Amino acid sequence: MIERLLARLPRGARAVAVGGIVAGLAAFWVALPPLHLRTPIPSILIGLAALALGGYAISRGVKRLGWGAVVAGVAGIGLGYLATRSSVDHLDQVVVWSALFAAMLRYATPLAFAAMGGIFSERSGVTNIGLEGMMLSGAFFGIFAADKLSSWPLGLAAAALSGALFALVHAFFAIHLRADQIVGGFAINFLALGVTGYLFIDTYAGEGTPPDVPEIPDVHLSFLEGWYFVGPILGQLNLMIWLAFATVLLSWLVLFKTPIGLRLRAVGEHPRAADTVGISVYRTRYAAVVLSGALAALGGAYLSIGFVNSFNQNMTAGRGFIALAVVICGNWRPFQAAAFALLFGFSSALAQRLPAYSESAAVLFQALPYVLTLIAVAGVIGRSIPPAAVGRPYKKQ
Amino acid sequence: MDERPVLELRGITKRFPGIVANDDVSFDLRPGEVHALLGENGAGKSTLMNVLYGLYTPEEGEIRIKGEPTRMSSPRDAIDAGIGMVHQHFMLIPVMTVAENIVLANEPTREKVLLDYDVAAQRVRDLSDTFKFRIDPNARVEDITVGQQQRVEILKALYRNADILILDEPTAVLTPQEAQELFEILGTLTREGMSIIFISHKLNEVTEIADRITVLRRGKKIETLPAAGATEESLARLMVGREVLLRVEKGASTPTEPLLQIEDLHVTDDRGIEKVRGLSVQVHGGEIVGIAGVDGNGQTELIDAIAGLMGSDSGRVLVAGEDVTNESAKDCLDAGLGHIPEDRQRRGLVLDFSLAENLALHDYDSQPASRLGWLFPKRLVARAQGLLEQFDVRGGGPQTHAGGLSGGNQQKVVLAREIDRNPKVLIAAQPTRGLDVGAIEFVHRRLVEERDEGRAILLVSLELDEILSLSDRILVIYEGQIVGEFAPGVSEEELGVAMTGGGRKEVA
Amino acid sequence: MTETPPEGGGKVENPRQGGDYAPSVAARVAVWHKAGGIAVPLLTTLLAFFIGGLVVLATTGKNPLTTYKAIFEGSGLNWFLEVGSYEIGIPWTESRVWFPWDTSFNSFAALNLQQTLIVYVSLVLTGLAVAFAFRCGMFNIGGQGQYLVGAIVAVWIGSELPGLPGLLHILVAIVAGALSGAVFAGIAGFLKATVGAHEVISTIMLNYVALWVGVFLFGLGGPLQNDNVGGESVPVSNDVLEESKLNVFWGDPLLQGLHVGFFVALAALVVYWITLNRTTLGYEVRAVGFNPEAARYGGISVARNYVLAMAISGTFAGLAGTLDILGWQFRLNTNDIFISSIGFVGIAVALLGRNTAIGVALSGLLFAALLVGTSTRNLDPEIFRPELASNLTLLIQGLVVLFVGADVLILYLFGIRRRARQRQART
Repeated sequence: MIERLLARLPRGARAVAVGGIVAGLAAFWVALPPLHLRTPIPSILIGLAALALGGYAISRGVKRLGWGAVVAGVAGIGLGYLATRSSVDHLDQVVVWSALFAAMLRYATPLAFAAMGGIFSERSGVTNIGLEGMMLSGAFFGIFAADKLSSWPLGLAAAALSGALFALVHAFFAIHLRADQIVGGFAINFLALGVTGYLFIDTYAGEGTPPDVPEIPDVHLSFLEGWYFVGPILGQLNLMIWLAFATVLLSWLVLFKTPIGLRLRAVGEHPRAADTVGISVYRTRYAAVVLSGALAALGGAYLSIGFVNSFNQNMTAGRGFIALAVVICGNWRPFQAAAFALLFGFSSALAQRLPAYSESAAVLFQALPYVLTLIAVAGVIGRSIPPAAVGRPYKKQ
Repeated sequence: MDERPVLELRGITKRFPGIVANDDVSFDLRPGEVHALLGENGAGKSTLMNVLYGLYTPEEGEIRIKGEPTRMSSPRDAIDAGIGMVHQHFMLIPVMTVAENIVLANEPTREKVLLDYDVAAQRVRDLSDTFKFRIDPNARVEDITVGQQQRVEILKALYRNADILILDEPTAVLTPQEAQELFEILGTLTREGMSIIFISHKLNEVTEIADRITVLRRGKKIETLPAAGATEESLARLMVGREVLLRVEKGASTPTEPLLQIEDLHVTDDRGIEKVRGLSVQVHGGEIVGIAGVDGNGQTELIDAIAGLMGSDSGRVLVAGEDVTNESAKDCLDAGLGHIPEDRQRRGLVLDFSLAENLALHDYDSQPASRLGWLFPKRLVARAQGLLEQFDVRGGGPQTHAGGLSGGNQQKVVLAREIDRNPKVLIAAQPTRGLDVGAIEFVHRRLVEERDEGRAILLVSLELDEILSLSDRILVIYEGQIVGEFAPGVSEEELGVAMTGGGRKEVA
Repeated sequence: MTETPPEGGGKVENPRQGGDYAPSVAARVAVWHKAGGIAVPLLTTLLAFFIGGLVVLATTGKNPLTTYKAIFEGSGLNWFLEVGSYEIGIPWTESRVWFPWDTSFNSFAALNLQQTLIVYVSLVLTGLAVAFAFRCGMFNIGGQGQYLVGAIVAVWIGSELPGLPGLLHILVAIVAGALSGAVFAGIAGFLKATVGAHEVISTIMLNYVALWVGVFLFGLGGPLQNDNVGGESVPVSNDVLEESKLNVFWGDPLLQGLHVGFFVALAALVVYWITLNRTTLGYEVRAVGFNPEAARYGGISVARNYVLAMAISGTFAGLAGTLDILGWQFRLNTNDIFISSIGFVGIAVALLGRNTAIGVALSGLLFAALLVGTSTRNLDPEIFRPELASNLTLLIQGLVVLFVGADVLILYLFGIRRRARQRQART
């Protein structure tokens, strides 16, 4: 087992590139608490080392990671320089590492759920632009059912069911009617916005959701309490955050280690080939799309009854599209996607804490996921390659 | 040998909107035989086999497996009945490994839920060794050769314990050597008791490999006859329905100055493989130069490089004396190039444009079609009217969408457009692919007329008949180089040897 | 798509093409375009309204027809029904002539209609932005971002450069706003043309980039936040200068009368039709939209057309943002930026209008009437709560878009029959 893990560690130029990325991050880190270096020189030196490592990796053909190291190096120098220019007080206020990491996990969780959903749907060959709407429906029906039935598990179940129903509509139009999948997904977003907004106003009028809605509980790990750094982060996370970790692991297992996953990927790559060995393309795609709706909705439910404990109209505010970005940047793979969910979660966490320092700079961090996705699809840092048949309706002969 | 058929098709009728693809076709397969299904493109061979494989549902007819009436409503039923099919377009997933492709939908598992890849790879290796296929189970399908991919397809059938194997045009993508290897494999399989249906439109290979031959024409079964004693001429007559006009009426050529000159051209495709490797050709006005070769030896890249659709690494292309190397498609066309592309539906026509708009595809931006960016649709229509008459295009007027025409008429539209521009050089790539006999004759006659007008014509075709009957000079392309030049009287055998790299000689 | 016998030829099928994310757009464009008649969009709309009516009935027990009538009256479209004998002034003269409708301030319907037509201006333009890209085989989801960029630039230029003569100032602002939309959309076109990045993904991302840049610029401490006295705590831009506001030609300028941008929108419809059908540029765009491979073979630069078509799309959307700022909004605050969705509605407009000029003109009116008719200001709260109704509008939009996708099925059935007839005619 250990040998196998070791065998998977990056070697040669890949290891160099990974080292470059780490160095790039370190260039920023040295200027932050607790080290607080007050001169930009170490940041610049370490950043240049990251550039050199990245350049070497690229010259040896490791493009994706190599460019990653270059970007990390440039960003490390820039951010490190900025950090040395701001006051120690401000830095201490913004950069509380344990709080930042805990916030990162909170922001990453809805993204991870929806992104795993997106991966299943797109791996089976159905584009899912409707993630945003499915997430929103989960957020509303989660809190709606939790409130009316006074039970958060039933809230979660209702959320998953609502997401699955919206997904079923998308699946029916995309698979059976062979309608354009982007148009269909887009319609789902409109529909979910209308349905949740309508029911929200109809049920809660102007008052908003009541404050005493049952919430998804936190998991208190008392044995972690005393641990330095780890304790404050992992000590009392919401149950859904742990479930998100489990979902990522399970998604990877199902997709890459089971016959079901092999068949699902086959359907997304070459549906006719799958059909000729007796796999039902329609059934596979239906299952994958419905699952994706349920997962995205769970992410939404976490938002409403696990995170902020209320609902307002259009509360997902584009998180479904960030999840789509996570899927694409993560190359349709669960672990890579989870890494990007964490990255985008981190940028949200930072944006949430930065206003103490600068309101306007905080705002720009919100745009980071979208800019990174643009860079990813532009292929500057390696090219993300979608499943071959994604977006193509399949016509049985 | 047990003469009771393992498979019987009785009175199969399959209709598509507007056409009857199979009309009351009956067919039977005996154990251990190779039964060839012979017919022109569109005769209904693939349809019949897709019915058998459960991909199409026939309107009428019955399928019997070992005497038992069987319903084939999906490929699963066919697989369960012991039928394996190697499709013309391989049903393989390029990014997955050989083993994954083979075990797909019949995967070995561990603890009931986990995919046991190691066992899968081992089984594939064993199977491959048994039949001496030499296939690496862990290779990705996109990385292996076309011949190997075909063997993976056969392994897929063997892995599912098929005893009936359908091969749909299996040699279309193979080199002659690979085809010979395939025939040997098929021999081994029949000795093991497998029965094989071999679909083809190539007379020579059918007479070589089959025990019996069934000829289809226009969806109807014409005859089933033993291969022993069948001649290529008699089969051709059955296939086409009349004596075939193999030779096109044409006079001797009177070559003038060289109009198309290609010098030491090198072209690399988008996967980084050098497909044209130092190729030189000259085509004079008033002659047809035919390029013969097995598919995939650089023909497509050569044409694309001449037409400005693909960049070249080095070398020169001159059209009527003008250097157009690495110029844009537009510049090449303007220099006097006409181009009948390989795939008229994908490249030759905008199917959703009207015929008038299609006919303007090259000169929409010059007078009289337009002026200073302003388009005159009425002029397009008026011009189209004349051209459609001149080229005898039937089935629609200038406003008809090109997609509504038959293949032959579509090709006439392409021909009309390319010839009307009065090009000095005309490239014809597979100009008669998929056409019926009448349309083929029209295209051939027209090409000869254009030659007599003094144009330089470069004909690239996979059909040796076409090359032999049209060309004034024949060049053979092999692995991106010209490996031989022949006069039109050359025998098919001689060409075949050159096309496979045998008797290789450098041509100055 | 259709059930046809397998094609000939012996090429190995390799379905993988880099960057191909949802390649069905070009094919769909073709189908939609072929759909002549108005029957299918009409049916689509009726079905959506019918389901919307059921929702009203089920949740509130109110008569859907009464609700729809109230929305209709809220949109001011009933103005056209109130035919009488009135007069209208002829521009630039003192003379007045007979007119069948009441254009004076007395008509309440006229006030509502002015609101509807103001929204109509932006919907037509954002609709054209989507439609034009569609005709080149691209799905421009970025209308919203392009609209925002246009609005941002317009508010910036409109509120700066004092001393510039009024008309010139307006022209500069309009040109700059439209161009910024073009450049912004051009990014997506450029990425598609050069590295094959799918325009759906890049335009979605660009939408949010525009949104956050706008919030950054006008937000607290942002570089373009207003410099009013005590305005540091208000996240809003400066007001557009008086001389760069568009002229109101119908209604009261203080009550958001209809501005002259209305004629720009009408002109844009004509320009759209002419560009597509009467210019070589339009010929190229359509050829690329239907079949990029054949276009390339015919000597048309596909990459150039992708960039150009997206830029033209962005011009329309940027123009929409500009006209909204100069015509009635006059300023931009961060909340406007967050809740604006006019560019997204433009997608519904283009889809229902089948990407034709006349279709966009008609479906633009439908959606403008829906939006305005359900707004808090125009819908009679006695009959139906506007907050509910505006969500009903979203629902109906969603259903329309959903069914537009499905009507491909109806066309497909038509198509089979037509092809069958053609085949029989041939044999």
